[in-house]
Amino acid sequence: MGLVESGKIPKGITSLLNMSRKYSLWVYQWGLACCAIEMGAAFGSPRYDVMRLGVIPLPASPRQTDLVVVSGTVTDKMAPAVKRLYEQMPEPKYVISMGSCANCGGPYWDSYSVTKGVDQIIPVDVYVPGCPPRPEALLEGIVMLQERIQNEDMAARWKGESIVVD
Amino acid sequence: MSQLSSTDTPTEEAEIATDTVREAMLEQLSAELGDALVGSHLEPGIDLTIRVTADAWAQTAEFLKNGMGFAYFSFVSAIDWLPSPFGRDMDSQVDLALEGADPKEAEEMIWGLAGGETRFQVFARVNDIVGHRALTIKADVPADTLTVPSWVGTYAGANWHEREAWEMFGINFEGHPGLRHIYLPGEFEGNPMRKDFPLLARRVKPWPGIVDVEAMPGSDDEEDETDAGGSND
Amino acid sequence: MTDISDRQQLGYIASQAADARLNLELETEGMTLNIGPQHPATHGTLRIIAKLDGEQVIAADPVMGYMHRGYEKLTEVRTYPQVTSLINRIDWLGSFANEVPFILAAEQLMEVEAPPRAQWIRTILFEMSRIANVVLFLGDMAVQVGAVTPVFFAFRDREHILNQIESATGGRFHPNFDRIGGLKDDLPAGWVAETKQVMKKMRGFCDEIETLVMGNEIFQKRTRGIGVIPPDVGLQYGLSGANIRGSGVDWDVRRDNPNGLVYDQVDWKVWTHPDGDSFSRFWVRLQEVREATKIVDQLLDTIPAGPIMAKVPRIIKVTAGEAYVETENPLGVMGYYVISKGDLVPYRVKIRSASFNNMSITPWLLKGVYVPDIVTILGSLYFILGDIDR
Ligand code: SF4
Repeated sequence: MGLVESGKIPKGITSLLNMSRKYSLWVYQWGLACCAIEMGAAFGSPRYDVMRLGVIPLPASPRQTDLVVVSGTVTDKMAPAVKRLYEQMPEPKYVISMGSCANCGGPYWDSYSVTKGVDQIIPVDVYVPGCPPRPEALLEGIVMLQERIQNEDMAARWKGESIVVD
Repeated sequence: MSQLSSTDTPTEEAEIATDTVREAMLEQLSAELGDALVGSHLEPGIDLTIRVTADAWAQTAEFLKNGMGFAYFSFVSAIDWLPSPFGRDMDSQVDLALEGADPKEAEEMIWGLAGGETRFQVFARVNDIVGHRALTIKADVPADTLTVPSWVGTYAGANWHEREAWEMFGINFEGHPGLRHIYLPGEFEGNPMRKDFPLLARRVKPWPGIVDVEAMPGSDDEEDETDAGGSND
Repeated sequence: MTDISDRQQLGYIASQAADARLNLELETEGMTLNIGPQHPATHGTLRIIAKLDGEQVIAADPVMGYMHRGYEKLTEVRTYPQVTSLINRIDWLGSFANEVPFILAAEQLMEVEAPPRAQWIRTILFEMSRIANVVLFLGDMAVQVGAVTPVFFAFRDREHILNQIESATGGRFHPNFDRIGGLKDDLPAGWVAETKQVMKKMRGFCDEIETLVMGNEIFQKRTRGIGVIPPDVGLQYGLSGANIRGSGVDWDVRRDNPNGLVYDQVDWKVWTHPDGDSFSRFWVRLQEVREATKIVDQLLDTIPAGPIMAKVPRIIKVTAGEAYVETENPLGVMGYYVISKGDLVPYRVKIRSASFNNMSITPWLLKGVYVPDIVTILGSLYFILGDIDR
């Protein structure tokens, strides 16, 4: 794709490609604590039905995923595994941090064994606050991420420059 | 396969009856253990706590299980009776102002039920699920060796509990098949449940604490309201 | 092997010899299988290191601590009302049930008693959190043997319970509703009638699961006779809840020592099953959900009127002393040993969580089973990581 390398993709193609990407997010459920159940309710229950947003919560391995939802408490013992999981995901990859624990440590902010936020280990795209966030909140987080993907400049991303968000 | 539940309400007589049960338990134990039973506390109708010497720790378990029918193992853990050397600065600063306490004031070690002599105590609980009895057993951990006999031989379930106590308090259990880390990563330093283990995040940034203990604005008559909600309302 | 005839014994020896020969031919290198820390069968972040010989497990070593959040230390630096909001998160599927024993222990120390209405509502919510918790197990157990649909049903019907809990307490998940001396609020209008409807739905769900899962041949084959726990071993390891009742031990704290909850006011049954295998644990839990809906129904009919809060000081200082209170939580017996020195904060809280004891039997139980059975056995023991690691 010479076009991409030269950094000149027509706008139409970019937006078409971005649209196809944002509506086919394969998401890995990295459920760690209480928030995992709310994530399960969002992804697994007919009441919230996440698939209508074009999100597919099925992959069994991080190697097939575009998006990972880190939901729950990340402990210091768990942290290396989280990092390895992130490294196993193929580019382009996105991370949603769900719940106060994953955002900043939450109720365990002073604990001796809890990592104070997953963003100390891996970069996070969208933070969903709450303890636990309602499933609706997670869905909104996913919609926000989709907006972000829509606005991505693919050429810039392929060249390895930082993501531009309008 | 099933059994109808007994629906009788615990009455006054029942309470007194349980009491005699606990007294009988205490008598039986002191007859068996003799001098090894160094302290006891009987809360009528509520609970029985005994304290034995560290040497008799395993023997007590043996007797409770095989001699008295306490077949059910509930837990083993430990207590650190040291007053926190960090004083109240591990608590919220608001509490301090409220109390007017001097955080560095050296406190004396005060033991709980059934007394104590050393900084660390191990305590455990076993149940007799047929007779619906239960009791708490405590033992002082010798300060120099920090070692008590293990219960694994008697109650196999004590294994993980003793690993936990070893990790959290640094107490050794003699005869345990493998004291390894259970919760924390191998490179973790210190014994977090000891009172002199500081929570570093707290030292950097004190928790604002029970902020809404002050009356809410515009409600002066709140004083005598019976609200136990504390900070979470 | 006492009353075995010589003939049988010879046959037995011969078959052993044949097995040994076969094993020699098929001799496999020992293999170490690592399951987890993030694996669908571990319900969270448990890791199991299993040494295998072919398909058979020779030794299994669970590695916990991936969810260790240091509750016991944190309770030493939180005031009593703050502790309640923290311990909600131990067993996150039945959060309300976590608060109750702690509050009861604190009440025992302070020598206050919640008014009858509060006790009633506590018991109702306690049983509802049991339903919210165990319903997910019923769906999940089917997943462990390869059927995916029941878990969707479980999530669907669990929402009804969560709705009711939310409209009463304001929290879908972590209600933080219990207070020393009573409850935060009274029930909203119309709640009783709605809850009755929901209980009817939950009974429907139980019937659905029963027809869908329990008679299923695959389910029976995968669970009957698998993971058998003899009662005496179960007692030694301190198993509780459906795990011990599934082994035929008739022990339920709700019935035997209902301290502070009103189980003695209703007519209900404690179910046990003599087999002690994975199936019996599933069966007992299913009956328990049914029983819970009945308890809730009866209590809803008899809620007394009155205040929901006893008179307690605004700033809670719990009297110095020690108290241990245990209740029959959805996962098993949960107890709090609270040591107070008359401060705003507890001096030491020992949390005796059900899953920690329930799981401590796994090294013993998994020895000699086949690899696919690890999944069903772990599923049927039913643990929640927060409850193991705390
Ligand atoms: S944010 Fe709250 S609900 Fe979520 S994992 Fe942490 S404690 Fe649990």
